[in-house]
Amino acid sequence: MDFRLTEEQEFFRTAVADTVDRLILPRVAEIDEADAIPADLWREFTGLGYLGLRYPEELGGMNADPVTCMLFYEELARGSVGFAQAVIMNMLMGTHFLYRFGSPALRERCLLPALRGDKIATMCFTEDQSGSDLASTRTLAQKVDGGWVLTGTKNWITNGPTADFATVLATTDPAKGMKALNFFLVEKGTAGFRPGQLLHKLGARGPACGELVLEEVFVPEENLLGEEPGKGVAYLGEILNEVRCMTGAMALGMARTAYADGLEYARKRQAFGKPIGEYQLIRAKIAQMATDLEAARLMVYWVAWMIGQGQNPRKEAAMAKMFATEACLKVADEVTRIYGANGFASEYGPQRYFRDARFLLYGGGTHEIIQDFVGREIIRER
Amino acid sequence: MKIAVLVKEVPDLEALVKVAEGGASVEVEKKRCLSFFDEIAVEAALRAKAARGGSVVAISAGAGTGVEAVRRALAMGADGALLVDDPALGGADSLAVARALAALCRREGFDLVLAGRQATDDEAGLIGPMVAELLGLPCVIGVTALELEDGAARVSRETDRGTEVLRTPLPALLTAEKGLAEPRVPQVMGLMKAMRAQPPKVTLAELGLEAPAPTPVAGYRGPAKRPPVKLLEGEPATVAAELVKSLREEARVL
Repeated sequence: MDFRLTEEQEFFRTAVADTVDRLILPRVAEIDEADAIPADLWREFTGLGYLGLRYPEELGGMNADPVTCMLFYEELARGSVGFAQAVIMNMLMGTHFLYRFGSPALRERCLLPALRGDKIATMCFTEDQSGSDLASTRTLAQKVDGGWVLTGTKNWITNGPTADFATVLATTDPAKGMKALNFFLVEKGTAGFRPGQLLHKLGARGPACGELVLEEVFVPEENLLGEEPGKGVAYLGEILNEVRCMTGAMALGMARTAYADGLEYARKRQAFGKPIGEYQLIRAKIAQMATDLEAARLMVYWVAWMIGQGQNPRKEAAMAKMFATEACLKVADEVTRIYGANGFASEYGPQRYFRDARFLLYGGGTHEIIQDFVGREIIRER
Repeated sequence: MKIAVLVKEVPDLEALVKVAEGGASVEVEKKRCLSFFDEIAVEAALRAKAARGGSVVAISAGAGTGVEAVRRALAMGADGALLVDDPALGGADSLAVARALAALCRREGFDLVLAGRQATDDEAGLIGPMVAELLGLPCVIGVTALELEDGAARVSRETDRGTEVLRTPLPALLTAEKGLAEPRVPQVMGLMKAMRAQPPKVTLAELGLEAPAPTPVAGYRGPAKRPPVKLLEGEPATVAAELVKSLREEARVL
């Protein structure tokens, strides 16, 4: 058993942390207030070459192992959950299926620019009546001569309103549920494809988020991302563990920032003649937060390690996502309490952590769905 | 144009520093980085190279230290790195380090030598001028703007009377002040490549130098604890009078 990072992973984490400290942390309040990603920050950050992290070197990537990727996601979310979301969408969900199944022409036109940050990518799962319940997807893909025609409305699409291309989940037959799902690549400017209503989020503000509308959108055959129709769910299974682990890593990063702020405040803020950190009830909070953080860290990196070993830790990835996110919520809550009334003021960080933490509840499956899934897996283990 | 940047590896500003019981030694957490002003000097060197062509070499001297500093410079885009690495430099004073750096600069030959104004650990600010003196080069300290011409450099520095603009022939040694150039954030591929870089090392003997005698340190003392804050309350006029009295008689700053 060896819990140490490699020298290279340690160095990478330090490098990312330094970049986040210099570029992102000074802009975090601005990103939150404007609910927009500053164009200059996007250009500068994406120009540093991190977006290809998990992709092969011939695509300008680094072929990084899952642990290294999680270190990146964690550090990025330590800076800004909103900014991290926009970046990770381009690095993982928004480009994975294009990378796996895209034709050379599609890769050239969409994938490479996305890994340089020149194009914005997104992934469309959610609809008004489906999210975690993918079998209820209603966006329809009809086979026509030379391609497919897509019709439907996607919602809660991070980067959606600004995306240059989207990987869209659609069904070829709603009656067949999970067995008829497929991914299609749809590029901005395709007739019938347009952004719909914008959503204004409570937290994780920054990337534009909202509807994407598909009205009889024709895409050519090569835009079906997969070897054959009907295997979308199987393909999704390739990255679901990684996506859940990533959400856990983001929660861990955000929680670290909140915890560090809470700790600093507990050391400095005086009440009745001594720092509040000298009182048992505040120390209990610190102890509980630190314990939850360590446990979350162990789970997230254990799952990342298993993925890197070629295992399929479905249950453990779900558990890590749930535990780390709940820990993040608890930490954010406790830090607002340590701050007292100041935790309620927009001039201080805790109100933002409190809002941002809630966003991480839903990505990769709500905790109600995850609990049901994990419980089912365990019950059926015998 | 061949440019050298003299860099120093220092404890990170967030590294914990603890003075040992009795003040015989000081323990510093092993979090090392490139000194703040040296990073500015590296950026200025890279910009000079972009404007006039040539190469940038980062140089450091120490006893088993300096690798992290030159690696950062390499990650930022320096073309090469050299280290004077010698156990005899452990505990050496500024002059011994300056002699080592000057000897290496003389061996390599540079058109321009840049350094930070001072290091963020000892804040001595001696290396730049000492190396210049040893090499017999013109030296400008605390440069805030640099413009290269053929065989010369136009530099600015801030003085009490305003900005001073100087023109110096090259080769010259310039030390970087805050404002000269905003250091770039390195690209990730550069960082990972630099991480594996093993810069060539030379010893003092190879440079024809003798081992210096270490500087004896009499002792270390931590910074004094901040005295308690005294709050004055009452009518503004009374408080003002009390404040002036305290500043004069207790704090003795007036």
